[in-house]
Amino acid sequence: MITKQNLERIADYIWQVPQNFRGDMRAPARLYASEELLEDALQDESVNQLVNTATLPGIVKYAIAMPDIHQGYGFPIGGVVATQLPDGVISPGGVGYDINCGVRLLASHLHAEEIAPHVKDLATALYKNCPSGVGSEGSVPLNAKQLDDVLEQGAEWAVNASRGYARRDDLDRTEEFGKMPGADAGAVSKRAKERGRKQLGTLGAGNHFIEVDHVAEVYDAAIADRLGLFAEQVVVQIHCGSRGLGHQVCTDYVNDFQRAVREYQIELPDRELVCAPLNSPEGQTYFKGMAAAANFAFANRQILAYHIRRSLEEVLAGIVKDFDVFQIYDIAHNMAKVEEHDIENKRVKVCVHRKGATRAFGPGSSVLPDDLRDIGQPVLIPGSMGTASYVLVGTGKAMTETFGSTCHGAGRVMSRARAKKEVRGEKLRDELASRGIVVRAGSMPGLAEEAPQAYKDVARVVAVVHNAGIGRRVARLEPLAVIKG
Amino acid sequence: MKRFEEIPHTADWSFRAFGKDLRELFENAAFAIFALEGGTSRDLERDAQAREHANETARVVAVRAMDYESLLVNWLTELLWLQESHHETYQRFHIETLSPTALRAQVFGTPMTGLDKIIKAVTYHNLKIVQTARGWEAVVVVDV
Repeated sequence: MITKQNLERIADYIWQVPQNFRGDMRAPARLYASEELLEDALQDESVNQLVNTATLPGIVKYAIAMPDIHQGYGFPIGGVVATQLPDGVISPGGVGYDINCGVRLLASHLHAEEIAPHVKDLATALYKNCPSGVGSEGSVPLNAKQLDDVLEQGAEWAVNASRGYARRDDLDRTEEFGKMPGADAGAVSKRAKERGRKQLGTLGAGNHFIEVDHVAEVYDAAIADRLGLFAEQVVVQIHCGSRGLGHQVCTDYVNDFQRAVREYQIELPDRELVCAPLNSPEGQTYFKGMAAAANFAFANRQILAYHIRRSLEEVLAGIVKDFDVFQIYDIAHNMAKVEEHDIENKRVKVCVHRKGATRAFGPGSSVLPDDLRDIGQPVLIPGSMGTASYVLVGTGKAMTETFGSTCHGAGRVMSRARAKKEVRGEKLRDELASRGIVVRAGSMPGLAEEAPQAYKDVARVVAVVHNAGIGRRVARLEPLAVIKG
Repeated sequence: MKRFEEIPHTADWSFRAFGKDLRELFENAAFAIFALEGGTSRDLERDAQAREHANETARVVAVRAMDYESLLVNWLTELLWLQESHHETYQRFHIETLSPTALRAQVFGTPMTGLDKIIKAVTYHNLKIVQTARGWEAVVVVDV
């Protein structure tokens, strides 16, 4: 077990496990945390998992963990590792099973008070129109050709389908413009496709949600204005990923890579970290499959956004003048990406794994759309259920310190089993209702698992990344309605 | 002998399965998967009584792998695939043949009703099958 004594304090919010802590480390391991969040991180296996990621061949600079770090499998949740190309590795387990799990934020032109009498109806419409829960099937069944198109085109497929699923400006405000380069439907197994065929436009269960929020506080008025955010505005968040298709892609490749590590003579402390050089046939095939699953997730959130637009129309047409929503941004938080970063005054191509971490590119990044380039990439940090969420922008410091990455959420501190023992779903729903938050959920035990007390305080997590300079706070959102499977 | 015990895990689920031999270990790990999902009663007696009235469907599972650990992951993964495909949960597992690289079994399922959550995937995280004085044990972490 790693203790505080094993860590060096590098700066106010940066702690480091030196490379000589364990003989198999290929780089140091860094953790962004306050004293309090560091104590949380040391309660479970997460820092040990962080150290394990520092053994990956080709790792550049250091393994990184964000302040929302918690125990995962292989990588900790909140982990970032970059490997230098061409021969640095890619690890399917390092991306995880819910490939391109992510968050989308849609913004209305409405003030919270305008929809106050209609929030319950809106929550009911969203719950009805956005399929959720165990075994849920989508409203957009796909034939084999259509699914291949989704896998290779991502959210762009939803625009091309010409059924009103998407608008061109949605893509402009999506990471990778909603389409991961290099995706190949041929690298996705028959079983993964079978699982995905009926799941496009579904939320799933677990910690995934749709949330209607209002902008409770604006910290940076100029940037908020540029993004289209204003105080008391009604906005909607979507949190979900690539569903069974992504889970299967990861399962398939973690299994395949068990042999690859033998072939490439890679020794690892954990078989979930199996990896292969990105330039190897195995690495290339996984990358193509992962990118395809990521595209499925972009399209999935796009179809859910379509259902949200339908729901707003259903409830608010004829009541308010403008019920349209436009996209603030859509970000991924489980992904491996090929990026260029400045390392020791050289431009270096790396494979950045973000497992429960968000890309947070700063101002000037050439991959951002023209209208966002001078302010940096929007970053969306959902809090736990019933608590605040945050909008940030990426920073130059994130580019130099964390490969343009920041945190992704609050981070769990309590096991699901304990949360279910300590919290009754019905009671939690009533408590949220007494605070004016409408809940529509398919499962009360599932709701209990996601109780706010099972998570860290998102405000403290966001304060760390803001104060450390690897994200800049723009606005705080507070919930009006939560929709869960 | 206890069939399995849950191990606290901050974000996902983890359990330690037991067996007097490897065959029983694999069967009990499968039992643990569906017990954690809530599809199988942990009360064995009540479970046995329920079975008498249950309308079970038998299915054959055959998986191959490079070693026992991979075989355990593939076996449990295959059961989750069957669950998703047929909307069933499985209560009884009969492993007919087991070698370090192959497993063949019959499993018995009933229609899936009222599950709060299904397991997304079975991981290799810290997976090790070990022999103890009392038989065999394996710790498994699943993504939920």
